[in-house]
Amino acid sequence: MMQHTFASSDGPIEVTLARHGEALQLSGYSLAQHDRGRLLVTLANGTTCIAHATKVGDVWWVHLNGRTYRWERIEPGSSSAHDEGGLVAPMPGKVLEVLVREGQSVEAGTALMVLEAMKMEHRIVASTDGMVAHIHFQAGEQVAQGAVLLDLEETE
Amino acid sequence: MVSKVLVANRGEIACRILRACSEAGIGSVAICAPNDQGSLFTELADEVVLLEGTTIGETYLDQEQIIAAAHSTGADAIHPGFGFLSERAEFARHVSANGLIWIGPSPEAIDQMGDKMTARQTMRAAGVPVIPGEEVEEVDEAKTLEALRGAAQRVGYPLLLKASSGGGGKGMRAVHDPADFDQAASAAQREAIAAFGDGRIYIERLLTGSKHIEIQVLADRHGRTIHLGERECSVQRRHQKVFEEAPGPTMTPELREAMGQAAVAAAQAVDYEGAGTVEFLLAASGEFFFLEMNTRIQVEHPVTELVTGVDIVREQLRIANGEPMSCGDLMIRGHAIEVRLYAEDAANNFLPAIGPLAVFRPPEGPGIRLDTGVREGDDITPNYDPMLAKLIVWAPSRVEALQKMRRALDEFVILGTTTNVEFLRDLCDAQPVIDGSTTTTTIDTLWPNGWNPPQDLTLEDASLLVAAGAETLGLHRQRERSAKEGTGGPESPFATLNRRYP
Repeated sequence: MMQHTFASSDGPIEVTLARHGEALQLSGYSLAQHDRGRLLVTLANGTTCIAHATKVGDVWWVHLNGRTYRWERIEPGSSSAHDEGGLVAPMPGKVLEVLVREGQSVEAGTALMVLEAMKMEHRIVASTDGMVAHIHFQAGEQVAQGAVLLDLEETE
Repeated sequence: MVSKVLVANRGEIACRILRACSEAGIGSVAICAPNDQGSLFTELADEVVLLEGTTIGETYLDQEQIIAAAHSTGADAIHPGFGFLSERAEFARHVSANGLIWIGPSPEAIDQMGDKMTARQTMRAAGVPVIPGEEVEEVDEAKTLEALRGAAQRVGYPLLLKASSGGGGKGMRAVHDPADFDQAASAAQREAIAAFGDGRIYIERLLTGSKHIEIQVLADRHGRTIHLGERECSVQRRHQKVFEEAPGPTMTPELREAMGQAAVAAAQAVDYEGAGTVEFLLAASGEFFFLEMNTRIQVEHPVTELVTGVDIVREQLRIANGEPMSCGDLMIRGHAIEVRLYAEDAANNFLPAIGPLAVFRPPEGPGIRLDTGVREGDDITPNYDPMLAKLIVWAPSRVEALQKMRRALDEFVILGTTTNVEFLRDLCDAQPVIDGSTTTTTIDTLWPNGWNPPQDLTLEDASLLVAAGAETLGLHRQRERSAKEGTGGPESPFATLNRRYP
């Protein structure tokens, strides 16, 4: 299971994909990698089309059947920019608890760390299935806004 | 003798002209502002001269620098393209005075047509019908408003106030109610003085629901002045054309002949040379009226090229070189449509957009022509006009041309910068476009509250799957990786090639 959150004018949209062999699925649609930058989409009625997708900043630009859509991805555990593969602190605060250890495999959605900031607890959550490559802070340490808390290596 | 042409322009029209030079075996020079370095057009020229300065005024409008560039590169002719210096008579004079060939009409012709009041008078004298109206020659500022009021009474409402030096909608005001006249007239005057340094205003009757039809003309130094038929460019937003076609969907051979003859008469009245366009308004009554003459190559020239088989830019080069034009009798074949691709947000009042052209994959196939000034990887900046490219299709019939345009626009992939592609695609499904009954107010009538992309929830959901899937699959990392590795393909055998010289 892979979970992603995208911004929309009606608030965040959560998308949870299921993997079936090489294909990814979402409520009747199916998706497979076609070649670099392109994906093969099978719609619910069985018709297929080639989608182009490219990421500019946090925004995925998607071209599909003559239409272009823009989806801004909201990074888990952060409200804005993130480092490549890293999970960053959404605001300055203190690490309350580290819930994983280095080398551990996690699923998308797994809570990795608990952060206290502005008197609130924030759970830092894995964006994808992956392996915890490095943990940068231990419980009790202070972190600055935007600091990379841990590195997650995606499993392909 | 034209042996090396300096193109005093940028973007897609510079590309068009530079390619024509290359085809004709003529040398070419591009000029380039510092913020245009690496642009597509600079790669199509034999030589590039880097201009100094940052603003447009300091670069593409700097006559001294441009003429110096022609001298330093040994260019013997200057092609101005459109916009920039193309309709500045003093530049044409300056070019000739420096011993260079000006690829365009004489400065006198530019002057006579550039001043709209003079043009109206010249056309009237040549027997070309002009829009009913009045020029106001009153120079005493205290009395102009009074004179304009009187003229307005005689012309009748609704009317249009226009600046004599105007263009691009500046210094122009539509007045529907006499009560609004004074305010509109003062505003038009102020705008005209600010934009053109000339506050002279004339009044035209406002012909609503009319079509914008223009006739392409060509004239050489061997006594031949011909027309290449019409283009219809009624579909406009903010006085800018977005959808142009040839032939006009409602044109008849008789009307084409009459308008063609009027256009030729207009050109001959100013001893025109080269390529030019005479614009008319075609009223619902079937009457046509002279609007203005553009004394340069036009953005929408490709549709005429596709239906007549005439390479207009090539003819410009030929004519400037003193040769007779090469085209024979007018023969119109099939139908061509052009759409202008703008970096703009059509859903947000056509606001110009900027950004990277992260993906730019134009459509391909028979009957498709792309005149582009950009390619994948370019950055769209706010420095210049947001027109990126023109997509032009040709097919045996209008119905098929429209079908081809729909297919082409559906195939066009542009990611990273917002463009009007979907708006243009939606336009192809609009009833007035389908039945050819478009007028200059069609866009406002179709979308009085602004355009929004049609909703398609199935596709929208599928696009979310694509975005999420692309993120999961790490598509963005694949791109970065391949960029870092250079080609991204297998290692080139040439890296280890060891050539031996006997």
